[in-house]
Amino acid sequence: MRKGQAINLQLIAALQYARGLLPLLLGLAIWQAFGPEKSPYFPPPSAWLDSIVFLARNGKLWPALAATVTTFAAGTGLACAIGFSLGLLIGRSRPLRRALGPLLEFCRGLPPPVLVPVAVLLLGYAESLKLLVVVWVSIWPVLLNTSMAIGQLDELLIDVSRTFHFNAVTTLRKIVAPAVVPAFLLGVRIAIPLAIIITLLVEMLTSVPGIGSLIVTSQRQFRPAEVYGLLVLVGILGLAVNAIFTSLERAVLKRWPPTLQ
Amino acid sequence: MRTSKFNIPGLVTILVLLAGWEVLVRSGAAKFDYLPAPSGILLASGSLIVSGELFSQALHTVESILIGWTVAAAIGIGLGLALGLSPLLRRWSLASFEVLRPLPAIAFLPLALLLFNFSLTTELVLMIYASVWPVFINTMGGVMGVTSRLYDVSRTLRLSRMQTLVKVIVPAAAPAIVTGCRLSMGLTLVMAIVAEMIANPHGLGYAVISELQAMQPQRMFAYVLFIGMLSIALNAGLLWVSRHILRSHRWAHADHA
Repeated sequence: MRKGQAINLQLIAALQYARGLLPLLLGLAIWQAFGPEKSPYFPPPSAWLDSIVFLARNGKLWPALAATVTTFAAGTGLACAIGFSLGLLIGRSRPLRRALGPLLEFCRGLPPPVLVPVAVLLLGYAESLKLLVVVWVSIWPVLLNTSMAIGQLDELLIDVSRTFHFNAVTTLRKIVAPAVVPAFLLGVRIAIPLAIIITLLVEMLTSVPGIGSLIVTSQRQFRPAEVYGLLVLVGILGLAVNAIFTSLERAVLKRWPPTLQ
Repeated sequence: MRTSKFNIPGLVTILVLLAGWEVLVRSGAAKFDYLPAPSGILLASGSLIVSGELFSQALHTVESILIGWTVAAAIGIGLGLALGLSPLLRRWSLASFEVLRPLPAIAFLPLALLLFNFSLTTELVLMIYASVWPVFINTMGGVMGVTSRLYDVSRTLRLSRMQTLVKVIVPAAAPAIVTGCRLSMGLTLVMAIVAEMIANPHGLGYAVISELQAMQPQRMFAYVLFIGMLSIALNAGLLWVSRHILRSHRWAHADHA
């Protein structure tokens, strides 16, 4: 009985949220109703779906999707791991933080897209280039957020580790690292959209296989339905990544005291 | 704080790194075929400044950034005010915006190319789509965060709806709005560079790509360096301006104290 009520309440909440989707759905429905099937600019949504199904059937879609997702996931993963460890090391030492500060700020301030031509110049059109650029771009928010959070660490926490006679490694593991996790996660939240943008941009500029190069090809060959279809696919990808990260973040932060969230 | 305002260790680190780079390239120890030495980049920058090429490319980029940013800020503030003020509108449309927001702006590039060809419009569409979001979300959050006490004040003073909006709500939400505008400036520059690389053959982004294709690494690095400096200068400038604006609105914070 009670369980049934809870499910009912959830359903109501879901419906209340879903009514906000109405303008979008209405817009798409009008488009579907009035968009001419063969329009060179505004093909209706059903044509987008057909073209995606076609791409999936002729075997072009899955390898491209796999390549893009792999680059994005590996790039973000590496950036998080390296950024967090370097952030901890740099953040722990005040002189090091000060000495590297301007350099790191310049690296973060450089608009990410300009790094793609630099990487192409130095490495040529290699597959490894994709991963390298994505890591290079998304590492800065993670690294700087982590090291800055250490700078703002409560001195009391360090005193605790002294009281317990922790050595440097234990202090880092038990006191410092947990305290900066919320700031680290914030850095990852900034890094994720950057990583998606750069993955797609590298594919567009260098034509290495992926969704980015697939969209550009569709555009060059004037297949508008494919362009729209792939755009929606990228949107779904972005939503999915966002949803996965939000639930991960929530699961992790549940174990932290609310003041640090 | 004991440390002096001028960061000497930071400067030394950069100089040492540049010197190391110069030595590596001069001695041939660096294995890259096209890595120019810092001195070469500096010389190329000088010649680009003297010939006026740098200026004309930068002018295009800065102009389009300013247009795109202004339009994006206007749209973002308008939408943010509307949705922030009306719970009804929020209930019936916010989810639609939340679905569109994570859509990476760069995916719109081929679509914009299809619709508007290689043009300034394509560049602007891309910039505006990307940079509306921070302004919109921050404005909406700022308006929703205005405390009910301020509404009581406006009722006590018998202010009209328009007066309440202009004299109470907008000033109270100003810090959030200004932050949103500052964040969106960074995005506008990023998308301008992307669009110029692929979709609009003008400006600094195009200059980098054309120097890459012309195999002129020194000139390419000079442009990259200049784009980095432009980005940092824009951010610092906006930070300064926003502090200035917010100083005159300090009373809006009185509620937090």
